[in-house]
Order: sequence, then structure tokens, then C-alpha cells
Amino acid sequence: MLVTPVHPADVPLLARPYYSDSAERNSPIVTSLAHVPEALDVTMPFIATVLGPSAIAARTKELVILRASVLLECSYCVRTHSAVALDSDLSVGEVLALRRGEAGWRDAFPAEGDRALLGWVDAVAGAVGAVAPTASKALREHFSVPEVVELTLLCAATVMLNRYCTALELPASEATLRRLAAEGLG
Amino acid sequence: MSAVAAAIAEGRVGERLWMYSNYHCNLRCDYCLTESAPGVVRRQLEPETILEHAREARALGFTGVGITGGEPFLLDWMSELLGELAEILPVIVLSNATLFTGRRLEALAPLAGLPVRIQISLDSAEPRANDAVRGRATFAKVVAAVPELVRRGVGVRIATTLEDPASHDPEALERLCVLHRSLGVSDEDHVVRPIVRRGRAATGGLGVLAGFEQLEPELTITADGAFASPFGPTVRAGVLDTDLLVTRTTSPLAVPAGALARVVGDRAEADDARLGIR
Repeated sequence: MLVTPVHPADVPLLARPYYSDSAERNSPIVTSLAHVPEALDVTMPFIATVLGPSAIAARTKELVILRASVLLECSYCVRTHSAVALDSDLSVGEVLALRRGEAGWRDAFPAEGDRALLGWVDAVAGAVGAVAPTASKALREHFSVPEVVELTLLCAATVMLNRYCTALELPASEATLRRLAAEGLG
Repeated sequence: MSAVAAAIAEGRVGERLWMYSNYHCNLRCDYCLTESAPGVVRRQLEPETILEHAREARALGFTGVGITGGEPFLLDWMSELLGELAEILPVIVLSNATLFTGRRLEALAPLAGLPVRIQISLDSAEPRANDAVRGRATFAKVVAAVPELVRRGVGVRIATTLEDPASHDPEALERLCVLHRSLGVSDEDHVVRPIVRRGRAATGGLGVLAGFEQLEPELTITADGAFASPFGPTVRAGVLDTDLLVTRTTSPLAVPAGALARVVGDRAEADDARLGIR
């Protein structure tokens, strides 16, 4: 890590609710943000709201998170969310497809809704400037307005986290690495 | 009434805003919370920053400010600043009083009659015992400076810090009281409190353990952020302790003040009164 994680004995007051008694369970996002507790105190609830359980299925959300993280080449997020994706009903084959380069996912996702979503993620997170109208139109055909808003926020938040985790060189946990190795995703 | 003002009015947050003007010091006391010494990182607040915090503090409902360090009077603008602060809120400033001679002593004269009090450390009536903890010749400098301040009409308190006040030799303490009275400082302006086991005291295994639950919440501003107590921004092995850090943001003051009020919530009174730390 570029910065020293805040040790449990030094956790600031506002950060205490976000720390676990088990050091292994404290993510480096938390232990780095704890240096600026007022930022941690708003960022973690934000992350929990946007990336956590919501009206959109976990599988759908993990498609966005993992694909965006692959496009942004965020080692921490790709590893961590490969494991989360497996727990969200994505198969090892689907995870591998999402982790391939440009358009590597097409053969693994025949459903039109998944294809619209992943094409849109590629257009949002894998490009700069205006989002391709064809991608936006396809997304809108399969998702409601509230879902489009939530997915857009999810994709944008993932990009933010991708750059945060990459810039601070956050390491995936040993438990995640063991899990991925066991699944052939190391 | 704002949440901060309510917390102060109800006594859940201390009514005094503390500020660490600097961390360097001309002494190197055994129990120093901040490992202060001549060569340490200064972590200094600028005078305009201190004044702005005091103005914000008054607007938020604080009723006093405290200045501590390090040794605040190593900053050559400190005496003038205290006069300006006194126009905003009553002030208490903590000092070792070993620098109050000549030009520095005369610079304090304009503080006469203002709501400014200098709290001076004196740990024993015996020069050898005092100086063993606080440094060579500090006793002589303090007993010379205090009457000079009193004579000029500057408010003075004496603070005595002991390993364990409860078991301290009462006769030794009485000799100290006789001494401070002879210097012109009354009993009500003499405070005795235990060493708090943080900073250099923790390294030396001295004093009482005191965490957030044991301390009166008093918002404390430093160059490194805002803390929940003046016992919070301590230094050990050169590293700042952050367990009592509230926010890195110090301005606007409403940010850390609001956060401290929120953290304190409706918790019961702290143990500081029982421990005699306050």
C-alpha cells in the first residue's frame, strides 16, 4: 500500500464503527480511509448503498462492477469482485469472460439484457467523452428509469473506487487470493 | 440552538476550545504527552488561524479558549496573540514559565487585567525533585517568574502533575502549597492532576490510562486535525496518536465540532472528574 493502514489501536472515533474486531476482515479501503475519518464516515455508507443490496439484483450489479474494474485495470477490485461475483450467481466461466479484453464477454452472455448492460458499461467505463447513443438506447430498452439511474451511479462509483484502489496500491486479502486460486481465477 | 451549542450548554462537550499552537519545547519532561523537545517537528498553527478558530468557537457557543503545546511562548508572537484572543473569549495558556525574563516578561505586561491566565507547571517544592522530571534549573526559573507575573497583574495558575496524587506525600504537597501561596498564587488557582499515560509517559510506563470514555470531550485543534480532548493529539515514538482524532478538517470549525457532538451523543459523564484529570 502507498499509505500505512490505520492500526486497530489507532482507529479514530468516527472510524470505529467501520472496524471489525478481526483484523483480517478490515478492508484496505476502510483502513486507508480511516486516516481521514470524516471522509470514511460518508464514503462507506455511500459505498454500501450504491454497491450493496438494492432493488437491482446482485448478479446484475456485479456485472457492472467487475466489468468496469477490468476496463480500469484495477487489480484490487477485479480480484475482490471476482470472488463476490461467484457469490452472486455468476459462473467461473462468466467471470473469466468478463476479465478478458475488449468484447471478450459476448459469447458467455447470450441474454439480450446482459449484452445491453455490458455493452453500455464498456461505453461508459471504457471510453471518454459522450457515451455512444446506441449503448444508451440499448440499456434503456431493458431497464427502467430508476434502474438506469442506479446503474449509472454504480458504474461511476466503481470507476472512482477503481482509481482510488489502484492509486493507493490496495492489496486483495489473502482469503480472496486463496479463494480465486481454488476456483482457477488466480 | 445548534447541536453543537446544545452539547456545550448541556455539558456533553467542554465549553473551552483547545488549540495546540506548536509542539516544540525548550524542555524535555519525562511525562510529556507530546514528546515535546527542542528539535521535534513544530506542527505549528499560525496566529491568524488561531484567531479565526476562536471567532468560530464563540459563534458556535464555546465560552473559552485554551492554548497549549509544546511551549507556546517559544513563538515570539504569542503574547500579542493572547491579547487579541482575549477580545474574543477568555483564554488560558499552558506554559513552563522558564522563558519569562527580559523582553518576553515585559511583553506579557499588557495582559494585566485581561481575561488571560497563564497556567504554569510546578511539580514539587523541592528543586531537585521538580528538576529531575522537568529539567535542570526549571524550578528556579519558575519561582522567579511567577511573582514577576503576579506583580504585573497577569493571571497565574499553578498546575502540579504527579504520578499518583492520591498516594502522594501530603506533607510534600503542603510544602508546595506554601510555596505557591508565597509566590502570590492562591489555593483556588492551584490544580493537582495525575500523569496521563500517553506520549512519553506511556513509553516510561507512567500515569493513569485514559481513553475516550475516561476523558471530558473537549474539542482540540492541531496542525494535524481536530481531536476529542487536549490529551488526544499525543505523540509516541515520533508518531501522532489518532485514536482520539475526530476529523482532519479543522475549518470551518463547525465540521469537527459537529462531529464531536455527534460522537459524544448522549453518553454518560466521563470518568475524568473521578480520575482528577480535568
